[in-house]
Amino acid sequence: MRWIWIDRFEEFVPGRRATAIKSVSLAEEYLHDHVPGFPIMPASLLIEGMAQTAGILVGQARQFSEKVILAKIRRAKFYQLVGPGRQVRFKAIIDQLSDAAASTTGQIYCDGELVGEVDLVFSHIDQNLSGLDFPQENFVFTEQFMSLLKLYQGAGAERVRL
Amino acid sequence: MATPTREEILEKVQQTLVDALSVEADEVTENATLTGDLGAESIDFLDIVFRLEKAFNIKIPQEELIPRDILSNAEYVQNRKLNAAGLEALKKAMPHADLSAFEHDPDIDKISDVFTVGTIVNFVQSKLAAQG
Amino acid sequence: MKFVLVDRIGELESGRRIVAYKALSLAEEYLADHFPAFPVLPGVLMLEALVQASAFLAREALSFAPALVLLKEARNVTYKSFVVPGQVLRIESICRRCDTAESEFCASGQVDGREIVRATLTLRHLNLADVDPALADIDQKNRNHWRTLFDRLHAGRLAGTAAAPGA
Repeated sequence: MRWIWIDRFEEFVPGRRATAIKSVSLAEEYLHDHVPGFPIMPASLLIEGMAQTAGILVGQARQFSEKVILAKIRRAKFYQLVGPGRQVRFKAIIDQLSDAAASTTGQIYCDGELVGEVDLVFSHIDQNLSGLDFPQENFVFTEQFMSLLKLYQGAGAERVRL
Repeated sequence: MATPTREEILEKVQQTLVDALSVEADEVTENATLTGDLGAESIDFLDIVFRLEKAFNIKIPQEELIPRDILSNAEYVQNRKLNAAGLEALKKAMPHADLSAFEHDPDIDKISDVFTVGTIVNFVQSKLAAQG
Repeated sequence: MKFVLVDRIGELESGRRIVAYKALSLAEEYLADHFPAFPVLPGVLMLEALVQASAFLAREALSFAPALVLLKEARNVTYKSFVVPGQVLRIESICRRCDTAESEFCASGQVDGREIVRATLTLRHLNLADVDPALADIDQKNRNHWRTLFDRLHAGRLAGTAAAPGA
């Protein structure tokens, strides 16, 4: 299983907000366990879709100089189930941003209906005396994530492209 | 806008901590320590700072709450403990905190333990007063 | 990848508390992306492990009556450190409330006695037949599936294996 939970950015306003979309397909293995006979995308993976959307938004706001790690899910609430053949839309907004951390709010939609709300706190782990061991280089913003921004075609794309 | 009373600040701080730490309101007494009694982690401090900034419309630079520059200054720290000069500097930089217990074991990794609910209220009160 | 985030159930106090374990192996393919230079268990999979352990606690308390047990709300899920391959995440979930339709938990995960993650969880319990009676067979399939998996994970017993002599 690849660890990429968004397929494409639909909107990207640097430092402000981003919208990413993900198509849900029966080709994805986890759907065959969750749950038998009734495939639905797990809430935890919907949270990850939001975390990747918001994390790239936060990272880009600091030109990817920080290691942006999901530190806290303030609240994740779910209202609808999402099945295969659907397109999920993750809308993330930067709420607060400092040297040490960032907070985001977000909504998840499917076919125009609100599926969930996810509010997150990210830590810039180089700036926090957390006593954790991690590599010096920025291991967070992988080729896979950067490629999503490289391929962004929407409004303001020229500002986002690296 | 009139400056809130200490009581009003305490109420808002209590609600902030209940929301951020999933604790019950009656646990959030003035003397409760954030780390010891309320179970706050370092990431919770980042979350709490954001929430306080919003709730009180103030900016809280990291060094004002916890002066990391003093804690990482080689002149003040030996074996990860503050010396006498370091403690003096810390007291000046953290007038909102009661450092009497910390003085017995000034371990720089335990600085977060000095924060009680009251400490936060004092800090917010002084920020609001400075804003005028 | 099998979406099973609990490898073993250790202790169970019916309706009150469950202790379960998730081992992390470099063989888990998603680690190649998270991250190439620093493979660690994704935070949302730690959350999923807490959810799955709590769901087993709810199911057992309700005699596996609900077909689906899903996360409705997670609050203050706090990540304190990383879980790296070779480590085992020990999950403990305490049930605060368990009704027919919903249950609530305080759950945490530790590695070598050090807390890695904690969360407040609300799960919702569903039977598809309540919305569409035609799906009753899917409900029954799920009840059997989760009960069998629970037995397998609890004390490492294979479902249907005869008890050891003298047990």
